[in-house]
Amino acid sequence: MAERKSVEETKTALHDVVREMYDRIVKGEPPTMTLPVRTKNNIGFDPKLGVYKYGKKQTIRDATSLGSAKQLLRALHVIEFIESMIDDGKSSTLREMYYISEGWGLGKFQSQNESNNLAEDLEIVTRCLREDFKLRPEEDGARMIGNLTLRERNRRGEWMRINARDDVGDSGYGVPYNVESEKIEFLEHDINFIMAIETGGMFDRLVENGFDEDFNCALLHLKGQPARSTRRIMKRMSEEWDLPVVVFLDGDPWSFRIFASIAYGAIKTAHISEYLATPTSTYLGITADDILAYDLPSDDLSKKDIEALNAELSDPRFADGWWQEQINMMLEVGKKAEQQSLAKYGLDFVTETYLPEKLQQLGL
Amino acid sequence: MSIAEKMAANQKQVAISEFFEKNKHFLGFDTLNRALITAVKEAVDNALDACEEARILPDIVVKITKLDNKKDILQLEVEDNGPGIPRASIEKVFGQLLFGSRFHAIRQSRGQQGIGITGVVMYSQLTTGDPTHVESKIAKEATAVSVDIGLDTRKNKAIKSNQDRVDWGEKLHGLKVKTTMKAKYQRGRQSVWQYLRMTSIVNPHADILFIDPDGEKHHWQRVTERLPGRVEAIKPHPNGIELGQLQRLCGESSESRMTTFLRRTFSGVSGRAAKELCEVAELEEKLKPKSLSAQQIRSLLEAFQGERTLKGKPVKLLNPPTSCLSPIEELLIKKGLSKTIDSKFVATMTRAPSVSQGNPFQVEVGLIFGDGMAADKPVEILRFANRVPLMYQQGGCLLTKAIESVDWRQYGLDQAGGRGVPKGPAAILVHLASTNVQFTSEAKEALSDNETVMEEARKAMLEMGRGLRKHLEKQKKMGKTKEKFELINDIIPAIAEKSASLLELPVPDLAASITKIMSAVIAETTTIWNKETKQTDVHIILYNYTSRARSYTMLVNWPERQGARMVGNELGGRKEAMGVWAWKLETLQPGSQTIITYSLDGLERGDWNETDVFYRGSQEVIGATKMDEKLLEEIRRQEEALNAPPPNENSELEGEGNSEEEPEYELPQTDSTASKSDTKQTTLFGGDY
Repeated sequence: MAERKSVEETKTALHDVVREMYDRIVKGEPPTMTLPVRTKNNIGFDPKLGVYKYGKKQTIRDATSLGSAKQLLRALHVIEFIESMIDDGKSSTLREMYYISEGWGLGKFQSQNESNNLAEDLEIVTRCLREDFKLRPEEDGARMIGNLTLRERNRRGEWMRINARDDVGDSGYGVPYNVESEKIEFLEHDINFIMAIETGGMFDRLVENGFDEDFNCALLHLKGQPARSTRRIMKRMSEEWDLPVVVFLDGDPWSFRIFASIAYGAIKTAHISEYLATPTSTYLGITADDILAYDLPSDDLSKKDIEALNAELSDPRFADGWWQEQINMMLEVGKKAEQQSLAKYGLDFVTETYLPEKLQQLGL
Repeated sequence: MSIAEKMAANQKQVAISEFFEKNKHFLGFDTLNRALITAVKEAVDNALDACEEARILPDIVVKITKLDNKKDILQLEVEDNGPGIPRASIEKVFGQLLFGSRFHAIRQSRGQQGIGITGVVMYSQLTTGDPTHVESKIAKEATAVSVDIGLDTRKNKAIKSNQDRVDWGEKLHGLKVKTTMKAKYQRGRQSVWQYLRMTSIVNPHADILFIDPDGEKHHWQRVTERLPGRVEAIKPHPNGIELGQLQRLCGESSESRMTTFLRRTFSGVSGRAAKELCEVAELEEKLKPKSLSAQQIRSLLEAFQGERTLKGKPVKLLNPPTSCLSPIEELLIKKGLSKTIDSKFVATMTRAPSVSQGNPFQVEVGLIFGDGMAADKPVEILRFANRVPLMYQQGGCLLTKAIESVDWRQYGLDQAGGRGVPKGPAAILVHLASTNVQFTSEAKEALSDNETVMEEARKAMLEMGRGLRKHLEKQKKMGKTKEKFELINDIIPAIAEKSASLLELPVPDLAASITKIMSAVIAETTTIWNKETKQTDVHIILYNYTSRARSYTMLVNWPERQGARMVGNELGGRKEAMGVWAWKLETLQPGSQTIITYSLDGLERGDWNETDVFYRGSQEVIGATKMDEKLLEEIRRQEEALNAPPPNENSELEGEGNSEEEPEYELPQTDSTASKSDTKQTTLFGGDY
């Protein structure tokens, strides 16, 4: 299980990666890097952790083609870069690393996606976290509003006590990229559950309608596919305060994937699912049957939507009966709907009718 | 002058200018843009024809100046270094419509295709009222004639004025024409610029300088010193003759026997054929041609056209000689294309001459492919008839249809549905050389349908397409090989160094892992023009990246036929066949390499850009093709056939008794000069194997 590593442990883990390449050359073989297969075909449910993790399938990236050889060379440059940051007590964003790679000659990255993926590769192989590598994302974390109090250590090293309802403006408390205990501690709360919301428009609607106070909950804006820190803070709050999480998204195949990454773990980050996923979270809506039951304005599924739904049918994370039913129903109806289509019945419909009804069904 | 005479004269005057006015669409003067192109075309075609006949390498300068912007009045000046025109002939050439002997000779010429320079003089006079200024110097006179030519449209005669002599200084001979006309200068696909560019492609021996109305200079340089082959006039072939012509030939003949008449007047008629023609036409051999009745002439024509047969078959005639054709030839098309379009790959194909209805013709195609041309637009089509660019009516032209009938997708170009003009970064050239070019209309801009010509053009294109496909496949392969080399030369050493420095260990030896990674034998070939030595340098490096020792014979193709010499070939080797050289290499140890290097002398830049490398040996060589021994045998067979003495065609004339044979009019095409066959049907490395 991934957990925070000491500086020495991190360095040793990285050196093991280098050692694999070096030893192969000494043996007269092409250098290699061994890592788990990162597709839906190699994730399995870990009953002990309650999340999906990578299985045993391994892929060997060897230097017999130009593309993978370049990957190996890049990995070496990244390792060297990480070591120098550890030694100098610095950190950098993934984007900064991408630009720094301009000076790496043959090992430079062609796109930022490449550098992000490689950082993840290294996390997986070394079982370290990118925080150990002193790398951080620029993706900004979520916004949160609700009657809960935490303390955050600011950049001057002082602990600040913040109530996420009384001490913040309408845009809420901004979740930083690092939400580990050295940075954030949870103090007290008066909420019954956490509601994660996909779009900013809906988040603002619920804030304006005072939904958090009426229903004693925390509202969390996911900003589409949630950043690691967003998923991590949900996980910590849910675990440390024993709170249920309900997820309120658009009704389309992509929202299903967002939910899966929150509840069961994302395929891309299955190596740290137990650290990011909240197995106790529940999908609240928009469901395929909501589209029919509430007669919501909808759009036809595109070709890509249909492909995505079909892919989900064979995704182990959607293997349970309820999900199969939902996906098949959406395919049958051939429609998708946005959260904000609820406004068809007026601005208050979502807070006065839809959410209370749905929450009641969930027993909240 | 009586009133009647005056009226008649007026009528005639009206008639000639009216004739011009009414027919200006097919004379090429229907629009202001086209009038200018036609004028340039007439002047430049004359210059090229004159230089060719006088065996002079043409230097042509074309200058267009705007005189009056509002009224679209332009001045056109064309100057050449041709033989010049003797003073007495100037007024005929410039002042008489349809002057010139070339209209009657059966051979390939540019001039077939227009009204002639007189049309320009006429147009100029009609639109501006000005005469055309001509200066001409012939070598044997010290000074040039200077004269203004106008037209007496009444008498179809020139009016000379301001006749004088001028000193040309150093220049020995040439012609200058300066004329003003109502015309418009435009740019684009149908422009003087495009006309001259195309002209320069098919006349690589010409140096053409164009100064446009903005003063901008466009220079197409000469890329070869070789003049087009001399073309001979030939006698008409029975298959291509019409009744009226046959009547005239019979009537004008002074021969005393039909058989002699047939043999001497026509091409392709052997002694035996002459007898057989008489037999099927039911004519006595000793009849005088002059005495033939209309009915007898008709019978003879029927025999010519195979309507009367001998034992159910038409009388067998030989093909007309093809010495009357002047193809551009593959190497020169290559040069012409490369000089105007900047790109790497050029394929060309000159088909062997063929005959349609008694008219010899020959199709040539060229294709240039690569950078510098739009990849998402239809390819540029460059059409030519007897070296003259065709710029209008592209869609209705036989040559375009031939291009459209090929499925270019299989050769690597985009083409919706496998029909129509293909898309891609390419230009396709088609040239028809013929003694009788058939156009769809008098405008002479599109060739009319002809199955035989179409088939030849299609075949030429298919062959050229295969060349393109081969090139693209080779490029792809070379790309992969290049990647492998980057991998072992750059990336693997970098991985070794970086991993060693991170672990603070010594850099490990790479040889073994590189062999594992490559596990192949690789040939890397470069063919580069060496500016200093004026030679084409070829380097072939053969690497053995396998764990076993290997032995090979390596072979290359080289332009032996085109007159190249192989120099600096230190490894020696031996000739395997015409244009194929081979080296038996010493055993190549694992991890080692051998370099073959030589240079080709006697070529010009751009003649030879790519060398095909072949191998004999058990392990595949990346970057070379396994030698197809059958193909090699075929090359040897063709070589033998070419070197064999020509069959004696006169043998079948035995018993004819009449021994005044003139062999030059019966040369069958297999007997044409050996150098000609060099460029024909080169399937050696063009096809699939």
